[in-house]
Amino acid sequence: MDVLKALKLVKADAEIVLFNKFDPDHYQGVVLPGGFSFGDYLRAGSIAANSEAIKGVKEMANEGKLVLGICNGFQILVEAGILKGALLPNLNLRFVTKWVWLRVKRKDTPFTKESKDVLFMPIAHAEGRYFLDDEESASEIAVLQYADERGVPTSEANPNGSLMNIAGITNEGENVLGLMPHPERASFRSISPNGSSDGLHILKVFGG
Amino acid sequence: MILTLSEREMEVARKVLQREPNEAEWRMLDVLWSEHCSYKSSKVFLRSLPSEGPNVVMSVEDWQDAGAVDIGDGLALVLKVESHNHPSAVDPFNGAATGVGGILRDIISKGAMPIALLDMIRVGELNEKGKWLLRNIIAGIGFYGNSVGVPVVGGELSFDSTYNDNPLVDVACVGIVDKGSIVPSVVKEPGLRLVLTGFTGLDGLGGASFASRKLSGNDEIGAVQIADPFAGKIVIDSTLEVIKYVDAIKDLGGGGLAVAVTEMANGLGAIVNLEKVPLRVKELLPEEIIISETQERMLFAVKPENVEKVCSKFKEFNYPCEDIGEITPDRRVKFLYNGKTVADLPSELLLSPPLNLMPSERAPRRYNVPKDVTIEEAINKVLSHPDLVSKEIVYSQYDYEVGTSTLVKPGEADSAVLELPNGRLLALKADANQDLCSEDPYECGKSIVAESFRNLSTVGARGIALVDHLQFGDPRKPHVYQDFIESLRGIAEASRFFSTPIVGGKVSFHNEDKDGNPIKPTPLVVMAGLIEDKVVRNEVREGTLVLLGNTRDETRGTLFSRIFGSWGEVPKARLMEDLLASKLILKGISEDKVLWDKDVSKGGLAGALLPIIVKGYSVKIFSSSIIGTSSLIGKMFSENGGRFLVITDDPQWFTYQSGRLGIQASIVGKVEKGSSLWIDNKEFKMDGIIDNYFSYLEKVVWS
Repeated sequence: MDVLKALKLVKADAEIVLFNKFDPDHYQGVVLPGGFSFGDYLRAGSIAANSEAIKGVKEMANEGKLVLGICNGFQILVEAGILKGALLPNLNLRFVTKWVWLRVKRKDTPFTKESKDVLFMPIAHAEGRYFLDDEESASEIAVLQYADERGVPTSEANPNGSLMNIAGITNEGENVLGLMPHPERASFRSISPNGSSDGLHILKVFGG
Repeated sequence: MILTLSEREMEVARKVLQREPNEAEWRMLDVLWSEHCSYKSSKVFLRSLPSEGPNVVMSVEDWQDAGAVDIGDGLALVLKVESHNHPSAVDPFNGAATGVGGILRDIISKGAMPIALLDMIRVGELNEKGKWLLRNIIAGIGFYGNSVGVPVVGGELSFDSTYNDNPLVDVACVGIVDKGSIVPSVVKEPGLRLVLTGFTGLDGLGGASFASRKLSGNDEIGAVQIADPFAGKIVIDSTLEVIKYVDAIKDLGGGGLAVAVTEMANGLGAIVNLEKVPLRVKELLPEEIIISETQERMLFAVKPENVEKVCSKFKEFNYPCEDIGEITPDRRVKFLYNGKTVADLPSELLLSPPLNLMPSERAPRRYNVPKDVTIEEAINKVLSHPDLVSKEIVYSQYDYEVGTSTLVKPGEADSAVLELPNGRLLALKADANQDLCSEDPYECGKSIVAESFRNLSTVGARGIALVDHLQFGDPRKPHVYQDFIESLRGIAEASRFFSTPIVGGKVSFHNEDKDGNPIKPTPLVVMAGLIEDKVVRNEVREGTLVLLGNTRDETRGTLFSRIFGSWGEVPKARLMEDLLASKLILKGISEDKVLWDKDVSKGGLAGALLPIIVKGYSVKIFSSSIIGTSSLIGKMFSENGGRFLVITDDPQWFTYQSGRLGIQASIVGKVEKGSSLWIDNKEFKMDGIIDNYFSYLEKVVWS
């Protein structure tokens, strides 16, 4: 619902599709929003990743269509093998909601090509510590990093212990983006603590 | 079979029935007549609470339902507060989580979409047990609230040894519904089918009776329900989709089917075929099915032709949904199992337990000898008390951003503010004060309502309605019962004064420690208000400090007295002062005169200064400008109401306007960059207190 509300701001022609009624051929792009799919009882995103609908998402990813996974959506993309790596429990083992600054490390993805260098968005997750056993390729696929206000990825700015402060990654084709922060919650000036709407920088790619 | 019925109550039942009830019937009477469900010891007094008002859409003829108030544009706000104290003492994670689930179902059973939660937690000393309780209570609230996607936008956290054995875990929820589509909880006509969704399990057996007696210290884990937020989410979404096909909705809470069916029938009769109830575990006994309190279940009264429409929605999610019986005209509640009668009792008997009016007597006042407390010691101990430290580590565990409508977030101000679908802004706040209530429950009842009203004013809102939750020890104890009556009178009086009707509430007795000592009386109120004109973004800045209202030397029953001992005067609630000062704050906000503001409450003026200091500012106080007492301890730590602290660039505006309104205000200090508190020419270094403010909870509870 929140994502739909934000997508309307960028004039995207979007609708909500139930998990069991998804037809990938019908859409140009897809957003997997946050939200404790199937209660996240086994491991965040793992049950959803094996659902019928995600096969459709995989097809879309392979066809080069835009796929955005936010928070639980990111966890699902990783669990489904559409994106590399894993999202482990936060180092402090707690759920955390917090507004964070993000450095946009790569601007060659469709989601970030016209973005500002530093974005302000909230995170809200318990399993967001990005991990990949190959640091070099992690560095290559990293699109967003937790940073300080000036855009420097410091260890203090890392809220969950992510490898290299990674907050979001892309695939080889650069048409898939997974990120732990919530752009849709940073799309409305009234509720942003500093009056910004940086989430729109990510979402506007879906605009009509 | 543990029953909580008294001999007298059992006699009444036998006499009305003219026979001995069977075991299932005793169990039904036990839960329906439990304090938790029937309010038998509180009902007489609850009737005195003002529940009417021009904006009240649905009030509380039945105290277990949520009330609703008009908020314009055809929308109503549904509001409700509950506790899960006993379960949380035994199994804090599931106890707290099911508290959230239960209150959400109360809101959706009105057909309303839940939009925000508040949680109020009171635990005892932070020893191993206290830390375990707190960590798990908070994790449980987060587990449920985060999973179902309803933001926790505010609350309270207080530490007092009175809650060592019996923590208080209160949760409030608000929802939004079209005024015309509010669903009732009770039926008016026979012939409707009873449709139950959700599995029934073995958990929560006798939970309502369990909550209606003191904790035994024995293994009582079976009385705790288990939380399943994923199922909860399915129930929320599907229920809101089928409301147009249902005539009444009741969530299954305390007392399980026995209570839900009886209350829904509301004096009419009902037949339930227990073998049709979907079970989570096989071979539950019929009488267990009747009283199981498994969560995530709803009961619908549905016209026969709509049963399929209702159930198909749930079955889309593979969620069980069955037609289990019907509403009958015969005024008897019957539970059958494969055609055999398990229980058959008159509705009237179930719904009318003999009401209790207990002996009541005020506890003798304690007169302690005043101690010499230096201002240094007072500042250090009060300002480093855990009640005043940063709660960020708590609220950061809740998803307060979900819903993209939380405008004023936890920790930012004295109230939370949410954007409503009609564009209006809603403010919410909960208040309780165990220190004051243990000294003078009547003044305390008035004071917590006044404090909520002031808290809403600090963000620019005027209170429109409230719900209350009255938490006490065993009502059979005359002092406890007297405290209950007095605090309820105070709440009733103040809510009438502020025209904030009480649209719902709850009573929780039998909160005692293992030695049978009652907790300090802890009534709690949750108030909702609407932003009148503008909302304040509370940002600390350099500027002039203005104090509105009169400061009295009243430190008995305050945080100061919890630390140093109770003597002197009790802060009295002078409601007119609260009303006038709140008016001035609202006017100041709408004319952009308020940079930052806070009401003066816990910790007194010193407590109100702390949030300024921890933001990297020094505060200079001119003590002679504080009007109303010459005692420095009184000036700094009194918790009398009617006061606000404001940072402004235009102090003269406030001193002028206050005179026009008939209250006092004075320029009491300045805010500058730094980290000290200056009282006149004396500097108090705050570095240790600031460090404690940010690190205390993490260091003590979460490391």
